[in-house]
Amino acid sequence: MALSLLRNAGKLNVVGLTKTATALSIPMKTLTTKSLSAESSKTISLIKNAQGMTRKFSLTSAKMAAAKGNHVPLWTAERLISLGLLGVVPAAFIYPSQTLDALLAVSVVLHSHWGVEAIITDYARPQVVGPLLPKVAHGALILLSIATLGGLFYIIQNDVGIAKSVKQVWSIKAAGSGVAAEEPCKE
Amino acid sequence: MALVNEARIALNRIGVISVRQQLRSLTSGKHLDQQAQPQEVKAPQIKTFQIYRWNPDNAGEKPYMQTYEVNLRECGPMVLDALIKIKNEVDPTLTFRRSCREGICGSCAMNIGGTNTLACISKIDTNLSKPLKVYPLPHMYVVRDLVPDLNNFYEQYRSIQPWLQRKNEVSESKGKAQYLQSVEDRSKLDGLYECILCACCSTSCPSYWWNGDKYLGPAVLMQAYRWIIDSRDESTTERLSKLKDPFSVYRCHTIMNCTRTCPKNLNPGRAIAEIKKLLSGMASKPAPKLDTAALHK
Repeated sequence: MALSLLRNAGKLNVVGLTKTATALSIPMKTLTTKSLSAESSKTISLIKNAQGMTRKFSLTSAKMAAAKGNHVPLWTAERLISLGLLGVVPAAFIYPSQTLDALLAVSVVLHSHWGVEAIITDYARPQVVGPLLPKVAHGALILLSIATLGGLFYIIQNDVGIAKSVKQVWSIKAAGSGVAAEEPCKE
Repeated sequence: MALVNEARIALNRIGVISVRQQLRSLTSGKHLDQQAQPQEVKAPQIKTFQIYRWNPDNAGEKPYMQTYEVNLRECGPMVLDALIKIKNEVDPTLTFRRSCREGICGSCAMNIGGTNTLACISKIDTNLSKPLKVYPLPHMYVVRDLVPDLNNFYEQYRSIQPWLQRKNEVSESKGKAQYLQSVEDRSKLDGLYECILCACCSTSCPSYWWNGDKYLGPAVLMQAYRWIIDSRDESTTERLSKLKDPFSVYRCHTIMNCTRTCPKNLNPGRAIAEIKKLLSGMASKPAPKLDTAALHK
C-alpha cells in the first residue's frame, strides 16, 4: 500500500515537474503535486549547498581579533636581557664601576619596563577599560621608565653609584651608628 | 532435575562418590541455605552536589547554585555518573554535554571541585562532609547550566589550519601514496596528537581569560605545534609567521595551569615554549629523516 502510494507520488512529481518546467496551464490534479515538486527541488538545493548543512549555531559570535605586528625580536631581547642580568648583577656588585653600573641601570630598567608592559597589555584591555586608558597607561609607563633610568644615571654620574648605594643601604646600623644612607636605591 | 539425575547415573558408573555427595547436597538445597544469610542494609552515603544553574529562557534570572543529594551507594564512581543520575531521577532540566563516558571525546569538560577536568574520568570525592561544586568551564560564555559556548575556541582551532600541507600538490596526487615518516620523526608527535580539544587547559589559563579574543590558548597552540613539527608538513614557515604577533603566542607567560589541569596528562606549556624557540630561531625544525614524498615518485 505504502509502496504504491510512494510510487504514485514519484510519478505525480515527475508530471508536476515537467508541467511546471514547460509552463503549461496547471490543472487541478497537478496543483497538489506542485507543492511536492517544490519540496523536492528544495532538498536538491540543500544537497548542492552541502556546506550550508554544517552551519554553526552560537549565541555569541566568535571574536578572533587579528593581531598585527612582530613580537619575536622583543621576546628574544627580553630573554637575552634576562640572561644578561644573571651576569651583570653580580658583576656590578663584585667590581663596582661606572660602566657596570650603567649596564645594570639599562638592563634592570628594560627588564622591569617589559615586565610591566606585559601586565598592562594583559589587564588594561580596550575591550574592558575602553580605548583611552591603555594608551595612557602605556604612555605613563614609558615616562616612568625614562624617569627611573634618568634617576639611576644621576646616581651613577653625581653620586656613589648604584651598587655602592645598595651596599650603603645594607650597611645601615641602628640609630647613631655613623654611616648614613642618603640614597635608598629602588630595586 | 533430569539433568542432575543423569549426572548421578554417570557418576555411579565411574564411581566417584565424593562428587555424588556434592551433587546430593546441591539437589537438597543445602548450599542455598548456607548462602542465604540476612543481607545487611548498608547506610546510604549521601553526597551533596552543588551545581551551577543558569537558564537563558528565564529572562533576568541570575545564575545560581542548586544543591542535589545523591546516594553514592546507588551511583557510579565518577562525577558524570552522578550528573546522569541527577538528570534521570531528580531534575531532567539539568543540562550538560557528555558522550563517550571514557575520557576520549572531551564533551563533559567542566570545572569540578575547582579544577577543570572531564566529569567522566574524575572520581566523586567520597568525603561526605564537603559538597562537590560543579561549574561550567571558567570564563566562557554559558549556553545553559554546564554547557559553555566553545565557538571562539573552535574558530581559533580552525585558524591554525589543522591539516597536512604540502608544497608540491601537482605531482603528489592526494591519496595515491603514503608520505614517509621515520619512527624518530613520528615520536615527536607523541604527547601532541592525543589532545581531545576538551578546552580544559585553555579555560584554565588566565591569559586566555583576559585575551581570549587574540591569544590562541594552550590547546590550540599545542595543535599548532603538532603541525609545525610534523616532518611531513611543508608549510612550517607560513604556520610560524602567522603566530609571530604579540598576542597569538606571546600572551603565554608560562603560568602552566594548562599542564597542571590537562585530563590527558599532556604538556601544552612545553609545546608553546617550543613554538617560541622556533619563532626566535633558538631552535629549528630538523629536516625529515626519510624522504617524505618517496612513494609519490
